[in-house]
Amino acid sequence: MRTSVPDLSVNKSPEFNPKGLSIPELLVSDGFITRAERGRIEKFANKSDLSFIKVALSFGHISRKNYYRSIANAGYEVQPIRELAFDKDVLSKIELEFADSHLALPLRIENNKVVTVMADPTDRLFVDFIRMTYNMEPEIIVADDLDIVWFSHKLIGEKYVKSAVFELLNRDPDSSALTTFTAPQLVLLFLLLGLIAAGLVLNFKAVTIILNVAMSVFFLVAIVFKLFLSLVGSRFELHQAVTKDDVRDLIEADLPVYTILLPVYKEDKLIKKLIWNLQSLDYPREKLDVKLLIEEDDEKTLNAVRNLDFPATFEVIIVPFHMPQTKPKACNYGLLFARGEYLTIYDAEDIPDTDQLKKVVSLFNKLPENYICVQSALNYFNRNENFLTRMFTLEYSYWFDYMLPGLDTLDIPIPLGGTSNHFKMANLIELGAWDPFNVTEDADLGVRAYAKGYKVAIVNSTTYEEANNEPINWIRQRSRWIKGYMQTYLVHMRNPAKLVKKIGWKGFLGFNFFVGATPITFLIYPVLLFVFLSYVVFNIAAIKSLFPDWVLFISIFNLMVGNILMIYVNMMAVFKRRFYELILFAIANPIYWLMHSAAAYMGLYQLIVNPFYWEKTNHGLSKINNPTNVIK
Amino acid sequence: MRSKRPLYLLIITALLAAYYLFLGIYLNKLGYYNQESLFYIEKTKILFDGLGNRLKIMGLTSPMLPFFGTFIFSFKNSLLAPVFASAIGTAMLFYVMASTLTKRSHDDFYLLLILVVFVFHPGMLYTACSGKSIYMVLIFFYLFFFHIIRYYKSNTTFHVSIASICLVILVFCDYKFIWLTLFFIPLVLFIAIQSLNLGEKETIFRLFKSFNSPALRRKLINKTFAIYIIIFILPLSTVLIFKMLNLTHANDLDYFIDSPYATWTVLADRMSFEQATSFSHYQSSQISPLVTASIALFCPMIVVAIYLFRHNTYETLTIMAPFAFVEFLQIKYDKIFLSYEYFLIFLVLSLLCLILRGHSHDKQMHMKTILSILVLFQLYTGYTFLKKSFISEERDFATVLFNPAPVDKQAGNREMADYINTLPSNGRILIDDAIAYPVISFTDHVQRLTLPYQETYLSASEAPEHYVSYILIATDTNPMTSYTQLNYRYVPAIKHSDNNLNLQKVYETDDWILYKVF
Repeated sequence: MRTSVPDLSVNKSPEFNPKGLSIPELLVSDGFITRAERGRIEKFANKSDLSFIKVALSFGHISRKNYYRSIANAGYEVQPIRELAFDKDVLSKIELEFADSHLALPLRIENNKVVTVMADPTDRLFVDFIRMTYNMEPEIIVADDLDIVWFSHKLIGEKYVKSAVFELLNRDPDSSALTTFTAPQLVLLFLLLGLIAAGLVLNFKAVTIILNVAMSVFFLVAIVFKLFLSLVGSRFELHQAVTKDDVRDLIEADLPVYTILLPVYKEDKLIKKLIWNLQSLDYPREKLDVKLLIEEDDEKTLNAVRNLDFPATFEVIIVPFHMPQTKPKACNYGLLFARGEYLTIYDAEDIPDTDQLKKVVSLFNKLPENYICVQSALNYFNRNENFLTRMFTLEYSYWFDYMLPGLDTLDIPIPLGGTSNHFKMANLIELGAWDPFNVTEDADLGVRAYAKGYKVAIVNSTTYEEANNEPINWIRQRSRWIKGYMQTYLVHMRNPAKLVKKIGWKGFLGFNFFVGATPITFLIYPVLLFVFLSYVVFNIAAIKSLFPDWVLFISIFNLMVGNILMIYVNMMAVFKRRFYELILFAIANPIYWLMHSAAAYMGLYQLIVNPFYWEKTNHGLSKINNPTNVIK
Repeated sequence: MRSKRPLYLLIITALLAAYYLFLGIYLNKLGYYNQESLFYIEKTKILFDGLGNRLKIMGLTSPMLPFFGTFIFSFKNSLLAPVFASAIGTAMLFYVMASTLTKRSHDDFYLLLILVVFVFHPGMLYTACSGKSIYMVLIFFYLFFFHIIRYYKSNTTFHVSIASICLVILVFCDYKFIWLTLFFIPLVLFIAIQSLNLGEKETIFRLFKSFNSPALRRKLINKTFAIYIIIFILPLSTVLIFKMLNLTHANDLDYFIDSPYATWTVLADRMSFEQATSFSHYQSSQISPLVTASIALFCPMIVVAIYLFRHNTYETLTIMAPFAFVEFLQIKYDKIFLSYEYFLIFLVLSLLCLILRGHSHDKQMHMKTILSILVLFQLYTGYTFLKKSFISEERDFATVLFNPAPVDKQAGNREMADYINTLPSNGRILIDDAIAYPVISFTDHVQRLTLPYQETYLSASEAPEHYVSYILIATDTNPMTSYTQLNYRYVPAIKHSDNNLNLQKVYETDDWILYKVF
């Protein structure tokens, strides 16, 4: 059945749409989509409450360039709209979700008509909405859909962005990192510092020796614990949480809608790669709800999407400007528009195993109800690029292949990785989603999930990312992570007794060793190394008195055994991954840890002066071509 | 019934430990001691009661882990601590083996076989009741080979890294096991070649192919190197660290293997060789390559073990590696006799192979018959090898085990210690524990002794009248007299340098003279 174009005032050239076709008809007539495809789009649009044009542009049916070429040929003139005047009263009558799903927005009343920007001027449903809501005819301005999205989120997205920022704070203020240090924490901290200072004044040597030994013992216990965890983790090396048969047994029609959030900021270089990676995912396209979250001020990425000359497989969401400008805030904002039963986050440069989503669905089907999150392993596709990428690969292999499975086995809270953590949507919302004030929102969420009695599982699937290959960029990224760990530690240690009650002693100790000890270790490491080297190399007499024989014995033992064990677990991890060429690089770990220490000090400084600042990591610097990780 | 197997196993283990303890304490009461356990007893006493800086004793006493193993049983009775350690340790070895077996097979025959070996084999009784550290060596030797063989099958990092950790512990139980690493070098290359995806089946052609293709060559080298690293870096680096600790605390990298203050083996090995070579007969079985033949005679079950793995080249080569290791020891330490421990490792290895493969053999009846005969035969060879050992304390054990009568090997040391115990509490005694550790191990008040680990020792030996009231001197009949400064030459020398010094003999045994200092 053909629908006729309504008689509306539309910006058009003289030879406007001579055949009087609707946009779907126009696209079929121009050969950009087939009739069958049009039928599929309409069916899916009806089922998902989205407009035809939204589905066509966001689910890989037609590229934006072709679409606008088609409507231009039909006589429509696409106008810039960002500077147009708007009336808040008019805007107050439309919901953002509706505007977003129809790629249209009424702006103001003019000449007794509602000035409305639309990407599809033939969208009858929206036109009827305008007529019924405002009791006037629309004055349609055809505009770029991305401009409409940008404009609509900016103009009517305020309550959503407020919700994204303050939801957790309002619901559970104790879990929000808005307050970095609480008063009791500050009192305790200064009390401790005061006691140490007083002790140093009263008996410098004894107190220094005590501190020295305490630090050494702490180091050793932490490292032995990590070795233990690695061995526990490596035990399950061959265990496959989900097998190929499990994946094969899934019925596509029964698969749930899966939301993928892609928070990006100035990632214009990666958009093409991103689409390629998303297209490689083995999951029914119409059951994917992919949302590219672009910040309001990020013109670069928006233009990159606009200039794509092939169909996009994601929906663009513009995150209105609001402090703090962090990834979790963007994710919370995207969450408000998510339609999936499950949700995951990928970075723009991520290359997940193609069957990852199916594996997660299968695993969730197997697991008890209280498992609300599944973490995939992360690794790097550009591991052999330079020293830094090699070291990063060693670290990630050890962390995701051994530590997290080890924590999982011992039922200790898992600090989630930045991406590829898959959630049950309902539970994620129940938890209050991500903390926008926390710069490692993932680790924080992992602990919060455990505190509520939920569990996190590990799936045998890997997402390949781009390892940071520039030292400064690396330090910036790492400083954010370490700052985030400090924030997370401070948040959850506001009431240690309560935390013990929530996650038990095992979880409490695990949390302290992993989240708390990590920044402390990196802060202390260069100090101890400096003192020790000064003692050994320069034989400074003053330092010598701080190392009586037995302290020296413990220190040497710690320094050597600690380093060796950490090097060894790194070796184990790359051995497991069969990255044999990297094994010797594990020896360079002590140098790599010095870089961590630099980042830790930067993180500490920022924690004090600028706790919510999101130290942006530049992606797309790698020159390595990244093949898609196809699972056969 | 089967669900209760772990419980039964625990009960059997507890009974076995009680049996070993009973036997060990009984032999101990009959007067059986050995150098190693006396050495540990003495060091433990210093740690508990000694004065001065005991850090070196605690950190550098070697072999370190057996010493600590004894140390943890020393709270009640330090004299029996080594026996407790070895009895419980050997029972644990049984438990580890039996639990591995019960996870794989429900056939109780093999469990019975292991139990028979543990209850009756003189070697296992020696391990359990002597107070020596063989039990620890056997446990970690077993675990090392178990995980290596498991690695071949599972290809998991877990098994290879656990094997590496076991090797570290093994090295710290007996330093000579560091040489075992040598014999894995060709094996690892072989494993790496086999793991390459090549159409060629023959090893030599695989090697040829992989060396002539740059990509395969790189892959082969990377993999071989990676396996070496993952297995050997831990033992090698821990040894290096330990040497470093020796350097910083004793100014000698090899203090732990060369100093009689750090390890009992230095003097014990020399003594046993000196004594044995003075025998008139020729020590034929200790001449390579007859060692391999003696091993096969001592433990013919190892041949069955190799037979069971005949289709698995890695495993076969792995089982062969200890043969090469023992042959190497024979050449490297040509002035030391191979102790019983190095024969027992083959017994453990053959049991491991039986545990892994015995129950899956097609002809179980034949297998069980052969094994039963071999076990009985091994009980006899075990006794013979112990009885005819070149090491006196091994022969002594056999003697006291099969002819339970009091032995008086330590009577002189004990007699001297008893006398020292009666001395007034304010009288300090200068003793060199390089050779006098058996005496110290029987004394009750270590804090009265001035020993070489203490700062005052050197001054006391130079000017005894200012520091001590007594000096213990080794007589010229003491077999170890030449290994201490405080021997029969010391008295005239010190009198010569200090004319005012008066020394009066207050007690004398065959090996010791105690002088009072005026």
